[in-house]
Amino acid sequence: MHLGVIDYGASNIHSVARALKSLGSKVSIVDTPDKFKSIDKLVFPGQGSMGSCIKKLKETEMINPLLEVIKSKPFLGICLGLQILFNSSEESQEKGLGVINGKITKIKDINNENLKIPHMGWNNVKIEKKHDLFLGIEDKQFFYFVHSFIASKTETSVSTTQYGEEFVSSLATENIFATQFHPEKSGDIGLKFLENFINWKI
Amino acid sequence: MSLAVRIIPCLDVRGGRVVKGINFKDIIDAGDPSEAAKRYDAEGADEICMLDIDASFEERSTTIETVKSIASQVFIPFTVGGGIKSLKDIDMLLKSGADKVSINTSAILNPDLIAEASKEYGAQCIVLAIDAKQDREIWNVYTHGGKNKTDLDAIEWAKKGQDLGAGEILMTSMDKDGTKSGFDNNLYMELSNNLSIPVIASGGAGELSHLVDAVKIGKADALLAASIFHYEEISIKKVKQALQSEGFEVRL
Repeated sequence: MHLGVIDYGASNIHSVARALKSLGSKVSIVDTPDKFKSIDKLVFPGQGSMGSCIKKLKETEMINPLLEVIKSKPFLGICLGLQILFNSSEESQEKGLGVINGKITKIKDINNENLKIPHMGWNNVKIEKKHDLFLGIEDKQFFYFVHSFIASKTETSVSTTQYGEEFVSSLATENIFATQFHPEKSGDIGLKFLENFINWKI
Repeated sequence: MSLAVRIIPCLDVRGGRVVKGINFKDIIDAGDPSEAAKRYDAEGADEICMLDIDASFEERSTTIETVKSIASQVFIPFTVGGGIKSLKDIDMLLKSGADKVSINTSAILNPDLIAEASKEYGAQCIVLAIDAKQDREIWNVYTHGGKNKTDLDAIEWAKKGQDLGAGEILMTSMDKDGTKSGFDNNLYMELSNNLSIPVIASGGAGELSHLVDAVKIGKADALLAASIFHYEEISIKKVKQALQSEGFEVRL
């Protein structure tokens, strides 16, 4: 099993690579278009804004090979890696990849709880649908989050989390899985989740 | 449903070893940092913090090797502080595996560092650390590991730090640090009432009730402690159970 971790030059990808390596996987950094071919699965970690991310992907000519992988190989998007799958975001003018219908919006303090933004820390993940990536992980476990923007519920939602409003903490379609939380920073449960991705067969 | 109260064991490191002092003095050796970090992770720590305690004083940069070693073995958020002076220092620490950096003395000497770092890496990875000592009605800020007094008011400086772009405030009470007599809850209450970013309380943990009170009375978002966890006087799990029984959300 050969895992690729995409590096478009504006995100800290090392913690994801380290976590995958600790599970015994062969991990390569994918930072040029030609490196997509040899990998079996791709992980897209990311922090920051959708706009700068899409821009960097265009500059490095990785948009097309990325879209090819998203169509054919097991793909795990983490944080910004979930958000870029959508059509657009309130955060930027730049369009997303448009793989999933919907828009990314800023977290709103709908119940006037003095919500601190970014949503940073450990929060519950409510599993709404069974999925192989949550195998052996109980409902309502704590995962680590750091983000200011969210995806509202779609038919692709696998889990939800409450912070102000309820948002999509993970989603899936066929070969794509994406999380708003950071499994690579979620301790043993996060490692279990990543191990499930390594073992995932589509 | 709200965020869990975070319990953060702190490794005070000097020359690649964990050390512990009382009131910022009388340093003793307390073991290997990555072994300690691994143990804390297994015991349920929500984050790990490593402070290179006199890096700033001796003009020494933080031990990159120790950071790398911890980051390759521990998969929870990891904050590193001590001797950070520039964006280059921050960049190197983040690349070595830190998720957040904690900046103390350099932020006072050069407040723009907080603003620039926040803009470059995001507020979520910039922690403003403050060492404070009470003097009648106010708390004074100290620099260089508690060695030099400034005329800054700790509450005002924390507010300024928030405006500059810090994502969290790590406030250590020098009066309480190492004394095991409880947190300076007045300080944390005052801080929490004045800030919209999370407050990490540090200094004075000795008994379970101290930790609970820092959240209940001091309204701290996270608790940082070194020796009680290091010498296994109180387990992280016990702290969380005590908080949970008081109705606070914790990750158990």
